[in-house]
Amino acid sequence: MSEPFISSASLHDFSLWKRMELKRLPFLFDLEITARCNLNCRHCYINLPAGDKAAEKKELSLEEVREIVDEAVSLGALWCIVTGGEPLLRDDFLDIYFYLKKKGLLVTIFTNATLVNAEHIRVFKRFPPRDIEVSVYGTSAGTYEKITRRPGSFAAFRRGFELLLKSGFNVRLKAMTMRSNVHEHHEIARFCRQRTHDFYRFDPFLHLRYDRDPERNREIRSERLTPQEIVSLEQSDPERFQALQEKCDKSVMPESSSAEIGQLFLCGAGKASYSISYDAMFRLCASLWHPDCVYDLRQGDLTDAWRHFVQRVRGMSSQREEYLRSCRVCDLMNLCMWCPAHAYLETGQLDAPVEYFCQVAHARAQALGAAERSSPSPRH
Amino acid sequence: MGVKAELGATYLPSEDIVVREIEGELIIVPIVSGIGDMEDELFTLNETGRAIWEKLDGRKTLGDIIGDLSSEYEASPGEIERDVIGLAEELLKRKMLVALRKD
Ligand code: SF4
Ligand code: SF4
Repeated sequence: MSEPFISSASLHDFSLWKRMELKRLPFLFDLEITARCNLNCRHCYINLPAGDKAAEKKELSLEEVREIVDEAVSLGALWCIVTGGEPLLRDDFLDIYFYLKKKGLLVTIFTNATLVNAEHIRVFKRFPPRDIEVSVYGTSAGTYEKITRRPGSFAAFRRGFELLLKSGFNVRLKAMTMRSNVHEHHEIARFCRQRTHDFYRFDPFLHLRYDRDPERNREIRSERLTPQEIVSLEQSDPERFQALQEKCDKSVMPESSSAEIGQLFLCGAGKASYSISYDAMFRLCASLWHPDCVYDLRQGDLTDAWRHFVQRVRGMSSQREEYLRSCRVCDLMNLCMWCPAHAYLETGQLDAPVEYFCQVAHARAQALGAAERSSPSPRH
Repeated sequence: MGVKAELGATYLPSEDIVVREIEGELIIVPIVSGIGDMEDELFTLNETGRAIWEKLDGRKTLGDIIGDLSSEYEASPGEIERDVIGLAEELLKRKMLVALRKD
């Protein structure tokens, strides 16, 4: 026998990836099974109250989830990220989970861990998720609950989190860093690193609400760190700073130089993945909520969305002078959070620069010694 | 260890895996713990493996499969038998294949 009959690779080393990407086969999708959450985090871009009956009524039924998943699998999906809101809040969470597994999908779960119980553990032990990403908002009850605004939630988090860790699942930890917990940032990092080795990341970029609720957006803005604070946190994490340096060296996204002049989407949105909301809205990426960029799966189907709608959205362009002179040709784009989806959430337009992003990108560039590479931003 | 494959026995894919075909490739996704070393390990079969796999339908014995393949391929029956037994044992060891019980 010259070559082995059977070979194996982990998801990221899987050779089929590249081929699927070239052929534009979607191997990954996010499934937001609810927007409701038992917590009420200050920075949250999506949550609705756990008891919100109207929101619950709009949620994909188990039957609808099955139909979408069947189609996703026949289009080539191999990996599904189940997210929310808090996915464990749904009574039929395990039915959904089991269905995804039975269809041959690798499953990642994003959770706040507060609702993890023995039944989840039992099912996950037999049918393991690829990984579970847990959000960590603080290492003290005071800080954690200042963010979640739910008394008792810190104890629930510790309990659920320990259950997951004890059972040996791949747990990844993500800390959102904001005004209300930045004083605990280093303790949070230590807490996470002690428990998960290389699976910890912090994220100081707070996104605005998907529903564009002005009151909640004001709250999120007030939780945002200043550009200088963000950069000094990044500098205090050598690995992260190194990654930023590499990004910076690559300069502008390779696609942007070859793209059409007014092209809006220079990112990977809709190339190999997509996102489905709790109320059946298909988007090229989770943040892309402009009304021209959402497709209601209840009025159509996933195959049509993927084959036709995605092309239409990716073909969108802008002839606005301001865009053509700023973000579209910006040298700092790789250091910037700017993209049409976030621009829309921030400004209501897909093609407008965002002052806060601009400031962060410039602060980063300065820290990396790339200040001489000037950005044509109109705001400076 | 129960990993000896028998010519007279009939085997079929285990319910603990899902077999997907993407871009002409056969991919085996374990759905229970203990098959792969990692929770995101995916398995693929080479061409020979795949030709054999497609005949493991829970109806034919390994002997029947060897007979079929001998008429379809150039290789000598001895070589084909080695391949069929080799793959079946590897799949049994990995718990991807189960023997059909005759009641
Ligand atoms: S736990 Fe997550 S979904 Fe829930 S409110 Fe907090 S950030 Fe939002
Ligand atoms: S740095 Fe400013 S001009 Fe450049 S991409 Fe970001 S928001 Fe646009």
